[in-house]
Amino acid sequence: MIFSTLEHIFTHISFSVVSIVITVHFLTLLVDEVVGLDDSSEKGMVVNFFCITGLLVTRWIYLGHFPLSDLYESLIFLSWGFSLIHMVSYFKRRKYNLSSITAPSAIFTQGFATSGLLTKMQQSAILAPALQSQWLMMHVSMMVLGYAALLCGSLLSVALLVITFRKVITIIGKNNNQSFSFGEIFYMNERSNVLLNAYFLSSKNYYRYQLTQQLDHWSYRIISLGFIFLTIGILSGAVWANEAWGSYWNWDPKETWAFITWTIFAIYLHTRTNKNLEGVYSAIVASMGFLIIWICYFGVNLLGIGLHSYGSFTLTSN
Amino acid sequence: METLLNPSKSTLKLSIPKTHIFKSSLLHSTFNPQPRTLFHRRTLSFTITCKVKTSQGRTNDGKNISKKILLTDTAPELSNEEVKVKPKNGGGALGLVRRLPRRILALLSNLPLAIGEMFVVAGLMALGTAIDQGEAPDYYFQKYPEENPVLGFFTWRWVLTLGLDHMFSSPIFLGTLVLLGLSLMACTYTTQIPLVKVARRWSFLQTADSIKKQEFSDSLPRASIKDLGVILMGSGYEVFLKGPSLYAFKGLAGRFAPIGVHLAMLLIMAGGTLSATGSFKGSVTVPQGLNFVVGDVLGPTGFLSTPSETFNTEVHVNRFYMDYYDSGEVSQFHTDLSLLDMNGKEVMRKTLSVNDPLRYGGFTIYQTDWSFSALQIIKDGEGPFNLAMAPLKLNGDKKLFGTFLPVGDTNSPNVKGISMLARDLQSIILYDQQGKFFGVRRPNSKLPIEIDGTKIVIVDAIGSTGLDLKTDPGVPIVYAGFGALMLTTCISYLSHSQIWALQDGTTVFVGGKTNRAKGEFPDEMNRLLDRVPEIVESSKSKQTDSIGG
Repeated sequence: MIFSTLEHIFTHISFSVVSIVITVHFLTLLVDEVVGLDDSSEKGMVVNFFCITGLLVTRWIYLGHFPLSDLYESLIFLSWGFSLIHMVSYFKRRKYNLSSITAPSAIFTQGFATSGLLTKMQQSAILAPALQSQWLMMHVSMMVLGYAALLCGSLLSVALLVITFRKVITIIGKNNNQSFSFGEIFYMNERSNVLLNAYFLSSKNYYRYQLTQQLDHWSYRIISLGFIFLTIGILSGAVWANEAWGSYWNWDPKETWAFITWTIFAIYLHTRTNKNLEGVYSAIVASMGFLIIWICYFGVNLLGIGLHSYGSFTLTSN
Repeated sequence: METLLNPSKSTLKLSIPKTHIFKSSLLHSTFNPQPRTLFHRRTLSFTITCKVKTSQGRTNDGKNISKKILLTDTAPELSNEEVKVKPKNGGGALGLVRRLPRRILALLSNLPLAIGEMFVVAGLMALGTAIDQGEAPDYYFQKYPEENPVLGFFTWRWVLTLGLDHMFSSPIFLGTLVLLGLSLMACTYTTQIPLVKVARRWSFLQTADSIKKQEFSDSLPRASIKDLGVILMGSGYEVFLKGPSLYAFKGLAGRFAPIGVHLAMLLIMAGGTLSATGSFKGSVTVPQGLNFVVGDVLGPTGFLSTPSETFNTEVHVNRFYMDYYDSGEVSQFHTDLSLLDMNGKEVMRKTLSVNDPLRYGGFTIYQTDWSFSALQIIKDGEGPFNLAMAPLKLNGDKKLFGTFLPVGDTNSPNVKGISMLARDLQSIILYDQQGKFFGVRRPNSKLPIEIDGTKIVIVDAIGSTGLDLKTDPGVPIVYAGFGALMLTTCISYLSHSQIWALQDGTTVFVGGKTNRAKGEFPDEMNRLLDRVPEIVESSKSKQTDSIGG
């Protein structure tokens, strides 16, 4: 009993803290920078991280199994993944602030999980025989962490596309000989200390290019990390399937869509190797990846068939 | 064509614009040509011309053509090869045949082609999940009718002729996978291996100008290059110092790892092919107490399947039982099996459960399903009778079985009796002759129940176990591929950073670049350079002696 109330407390605290953080960001954006509150939004994200960790740990203790057996738990884990990414980037490099991406993501996933749509699933569920295995921890946690990182990275790419929307049109339209990728502009700018390009004449454009360069780079690094997690998740899932059912790949809808996600991000990493395709085209691929992850994570569950039917749910409100 | 050689590995790119300018015989005679590598021999005839165009296209007016001769290991080779290869034409049919594999190789290792293939594979897989697989043709006639085509053109003809109903073994899909595999091999051979060779050669930069042209460059006015070397070493770099110049690198494994990724994928594909063509599989539902022979159950999947001696083993199901949660739901299935060889001697005995299979002699037995075989009852003191249980509903985990005990005149057309239903092996629900619910009994309680004058004691619920048997020779290869893929993917996250430095009087010029972590590199370099001690001169003459190269 005490554990379930503790769980409720943690859920409510984390949800409200994230809402406050987002409100602070909105105020900064729309009204004016309120001095002293900026630091509190960072602290709020740290508090949120600890709350969600506490939530997962209490759930683990009183359920007896790792808290990743149905859709509700995996959504909570996903929002934990977002706040983990935020914490790691916050402690490593204090300069760049990812909380504009991670905070809304965390709140959306948590909000959906704790909303009325999934109340039936919030109570502890019995673990089916097929899920009683050590592989559950590794496979599902790696997959969900991979999704969190890839979602962050693809959101950064979407942000990149949105910011440079007009430039994207001109760059695609231009002749290949004259088109410049962002990397090349940056490179040229660094090597020759003369601002040759007309883009840089106004300081506003210069800062915009700084931002796009950072977005580009961060999106690449986070997607690489997410790709590693996704690879490990898919492969450990295959090994688990072989141990449980005797075949490591069954072309199950969820497996197939996870493979499609993997392929799309492999395409993204390959487009980054080529200077011509880098920049705009890789951002477009990563944005496609955003949609595909949601299809893989949610869309397949709605079908409710196949080996992964544990994650299925019907949208009935109670 | 300019995508053939990966331009981001710019050690090549940087040296070419400088060296192709100094095509003088002096250069040819002074430098010994290195033993020709495969890279130079094979791909140059197609790439060098393009590369020359590229470098000319990219050379801006801003570039400063230095008059000094650049002494690097890589540059003079390329200029050698460049001049010698150009006039070679390879005339005649024989030359064409000799060049054909090279042309195919060059065609296959094209990056946009590989990206296109990956998109096609992804699209086909998505289509495979959208279209229901493995149904009878009639299903597709109904679902994609010709009179009312989906999306305006998609009818059952598309599905059946292209093989989209068995997408993942259809010719299109397998063909695209094979093409992707070939592209993988071609790309590894032509592009990645040579790049590794180039990345491994380390070179010193001898002029301050060339150092200033790096992606990141800085100068330390009063410093010693040895201090810089020590600090770099402390930060994980491998440092080489020759006279006044320094070269340091870190994270070289990050360059090798993508090759490992491609090789691991090829291994997985090979193992998967072996699994698909060389394994045996089968499934069987065996009531408790009965036997079956392994070889009778297994069937081959492809042309490489060869049966082994151990297929003669007989399997005896000793007992099948289930564990339940307090709420009544099933928590685990267990089957106690004995394996007997041809002489009847027991060679193995094990209790299987869902995540715990039995492995023996190359085949593996998995617990995948269960069923209700028979209900053993004693009626009015006579028996025990075995009533066979029929499956009424088999909805995945939710099953319902039932049986019927006729009472009274069994020859009349309207035979009435007692119905017994069960969801699992732990409780039986009994209904009377009118079909009304009468009571529940558990098999191990041995409590009698009297329905309409008939006394029934439920003795035992006999279950049958659903087992899947499999032998798969490709599994070790696939597992090895999985492990390699996981490891190499992790390693390829590392960024290969290279730093050059030159001591020029009291100033140290530092320049560096990295291939992946481009955003973090300047910060890291600045942090390192901040730690280099500044030499404060107490007396000028002493210092110039100790600092000078």
